[in-house]
Amino acid sequence: MNGPVRRLSIGLFAGFFALLISVTWIQVINADALKADPRNSRPALSERGKERGLMVTIDGTVVARSVEDPADPRSFVREYPEGEVFAHVVGYNSFLVGSAGLESAYAQELRSKRDLTISDLVTVILGRDLRPQSLEITLDAELQRAAYQALGGLKGGIVAIDPSTGAVLAAVSSPSFDPATLLGADAAAVWEGLLADPNGPLLDRATREIFPPGSSFKTVVAAAALDTGAADPNTQFPDPLEFQLPGSTATISNAGGGVCNNGESITLLQAFVVSCNTTFADLSVRLGAEDIGITAEALGFNTEIPFPWTVPEAVYPVEALSEDPAALAQSGIGERDVRAAPLHMAMVAAAVANDGVTPTPYLVNRIFDANGDTVEAFEPTPMGRAMAPATASVLTQMMERVVTEGTGRAAAVPGIRVAGKTGTSMGPEGLPNPWFIGFAPIEEPSIAVAILLEASSELGESASGGGVAAPIAADLIQLWLERSP
Amino acid sequence: MTRNAEGATIVAASVLAGFGVALVNFAQDRSVDAQTALTFLVFVIAFGGLHLAVRAFAPRATPLLLGPVTALTALGFFQIYRLDLALGSDRASFQRWWMLIAAGLAALTMLLLNRTTISILRRYRNITLLISLVLVLLPNLPTDWGFPLRGLEVNGSRLWVLLDVGFTTFQFQPAELAKLGLVAYVAGYLADHQRALREARRHIGPIAFPEPRQLIPLLITWGVSVLILISQRDLGASLLLFVGFVLLLYAATGTTGYLVAGGFLGVVAGVASYMAFDHVQRRVIAWLAPFEHYEDEGYQIAQGLFAMGTGSLSGAGPGLGRPDLIPNASTDFIFAAVGEELGFAGTVSVIALFALVVAVGLGIAFRSRDTFRKLLAAGLTFVLAVQTILIVGGIVRIVPLTGITLPFMSYGGSALVGNLILVALLLRISHEEAA
Repeated sequence: MNGPVRRLSIGLFAGFFALLISVTWIQVINADALKADPRNSRPALSERGKERGLMVTIDGTVVARSVEDPADPRSFVREYPEGEVFAHVVGYNSFLVGSAGLESAYAQELRSKRDLTISDLVTVILGRDLRPQSLEITLDAELQRAAYQALGGLKGGIVAIDPSTGAVLAAVSSPSFDPATLLGADAAAVWEGLLADPNGPLLDRATREIFPPGSSFKTVVAAAALDTGAADPNTQFPDPLEFQLPGSTATISNAGGGVCNNGESITLLQAFVVSCNTTFADLSVRLGAEDIGITAEALGFNTEIPFPWTVPEAVYPVEALSEDPAALAQSGIGERDVRAAPLHMAMVAAAVANDGVTPTPYLVNRIFDANGDTVEAFEPTPMGRAMAPATASVLTQMMERVVTEGTGRAAAVPGIRVAGKTGTSMGPEGLPNPWFIGFAPIEEPSIAVAILLEASSELGESASGGGVAAPIAADLIQLWLERSP
Repeated sequence: MTRNAEGATIVAASVLAGFGVALVNFAQDRSVDAQTALTFLVFVIAFGGLHLAVRAFAPRATPLLLGPVTALTALGFFQIYRLDLALGSDRASFQRWWMLIAAGLAALTMLLLNRTTISILRRYRNITLLISLVLVLLPNLPTDWGFPLRGLEVNGSRLWVLLDVGFTTFQFQPAELAKLGLVAYVAGYLADHQRALREARRHIGPIAFPEPRQLIPLLITWGVSVLILISQRDLGASLLLFVGFVLLLYAATGTTGYLVAGGFLGVVAGVASYMAFDHVQRRVIAWLAPFEHYEDEGYQIAQGLFAMGTGSLSGAGPGLGRPDLIPNASTDFIFAAVGEELGFAGTVSVIALFALVVAVGLGIAFRSRDTFRKLLAAGLTFVLAVQTILIVGGIVRIVPLTGITLPFMSYGGSALVGNLILVALLLRISHEEAA
């Protein structure tokens, strides 16, 4: 009788063995996936009330911190002292509605490693710090506040970067929200309200929304023309009333409806300064999609930009345009399917300012521990050369003329040489998206900006880049140069 | 290992129980209170008392059984206590009372059953069967009649009996005791008939099949199992009864045909009940695709998997996880709760302790010279092992979830009473064979 019992016991122990294998699968091999499942609220629950690291701007302004909960001395509450001004960059870490921004991208670094478990002891024995790490971010608080105020609650986005390093000096999206309101017990209701708001306060119009760049894209086309030698500033172009789109009965006309110069001819420089659409449509068809595409891609189009969060790619659809000359002509003035976020257009301006080398934008300067010691510092590496230094130099002169005598005169700052380019692209319902991109000072550029105001009825149908976006650039450049002499 | 070492492991396990409670208190920001001392004390009295009872009534019994059983009870208890704090329930203090009662009844079992009285179980097995069947059917009593003993429906299953003694009420699951009686009956029956059963068989190919007439007990048990499934909607008890019986039948006769026939009948009943009952269908859906049916059928299993996955290697720590998010955490899903707070280390320990208990139980069966006692020991161990594999396997998705308790660990007085008496029977048999 022991024989059958023995055989059965083998079966039973096979059963126990199967339990062990399954438990190993669940708790060891597949544990991370189960932990990360969005329906599993445990990781978020265990973060609640724990200390998180600081976020400090380069000028020492605290934009996120944990303070002791007055109601429970062992628990912490998260504060965002700068509120809506930094909302899209700083983000939030909410138990009820999830996390976003740097709070999400650097969740591992910012969280406390103190779990009150045996692993704490091991960590301490290994000499590691349980306290959360903090972020030093590249933004300048004054510039950020000024940029947010300049948008005045209108829909829009502003990005300012240091052209020589790529450090993002300001990244603002308007309208905004106070991230602290997403931390309370009523977070879900607040969230629903923000989602339902027709002005889309949760959208990040600085780095995560793309728009047609309009005439500000002429900077890219001009760079391609100069770089390939297809044209120089004095190259003569016809000056028609309308540009006939190849293979189509449709035409491109100029802002205001007239000719750009005398109706006979116009130089590339003149066309750039007055933002002549017919010339750039013509130039674009002459250059072809491939040559413009090479420059555009070196400036960050059709490219994944490394950033704390996923930045949508700026679009210049080379293949489609090479088969469609009409679309190619329209793309030459930043319309049709061309798209970019203010971040991308700030990179275009920065590349011209930086002698033709496109910098890689970055937001986090360094990670430091609770003692203030640097854990990791970020050394920016440029994305690469987009144009020859000579091209950048000529283009800078052309951009300066835009500000001194062209469409961008409102961007002028007394005593400072400013380079820029305006744009006004077609938004929904025929309303305009005004743009301005530029940099200063020309001798040694320390700031490159891109300003977008998104089409809206509040902005009106007659708003233009030179009219509403350029003055903001002037204010920001002036403020920045006063702050960093 | 000596009897003294057994005592030491019991004290160590009692310290573990008290320490677990203290850690939970500490983690929950409560001062370490009288619960710690009380828990330690109750464990020492219950299991230390059982240890003394073994010294008195079964001194030659294996010293390897009580230690692991105490440790398993301790691991379960600290989770029951911990879930009380999160859910505001008061199950731990009930469980402590039941621990004392169960240990007392287990000691009484060892006192009453000696070499001669144990054979009474064999001789009067029909009475045991009758009592067991009555116990199994007790929950089917009307829930609303005037009699103090009533059926009780919990979570759609009819497993409970409510005893109203005027000033208070008791709830218990009679099936937990009935399973012991049924094993004793089957062991007695097979001990008397095993020779006839073994000889009357014919071979078809390599497999030995019993005479058709000999299949009648199998068919009767199968019928009772199906009846339980229909009348009480209790997949677990039904499956446990049937699987335990088939295994014991095979153990007694060595006739592979019983396994084949049992497997066939099991599949038939399984498929039929899947088609007939939506509560069986829900279990299967939850088993196969818990995350696809997260909002309804799969929620409990998914929460159990989340709990265990989040616990990963070393666990969240006592009192630091959220096992209260799992529905029925302190009964059916106590294994997942332990997995969340004690991690892989905890779950492997639990499985290892159960394997040890089962191995010791099987060892007692191997060494038994008396057929009845051998079959009794084997049957009790099979039931314990199958129950553990069914419920843990249900949580870790090896088999569909069956709503049965994890022996020694789950909250529930009747289960604890039944399982400690089971241990007492094993100890008693072990004592007889060591002579």
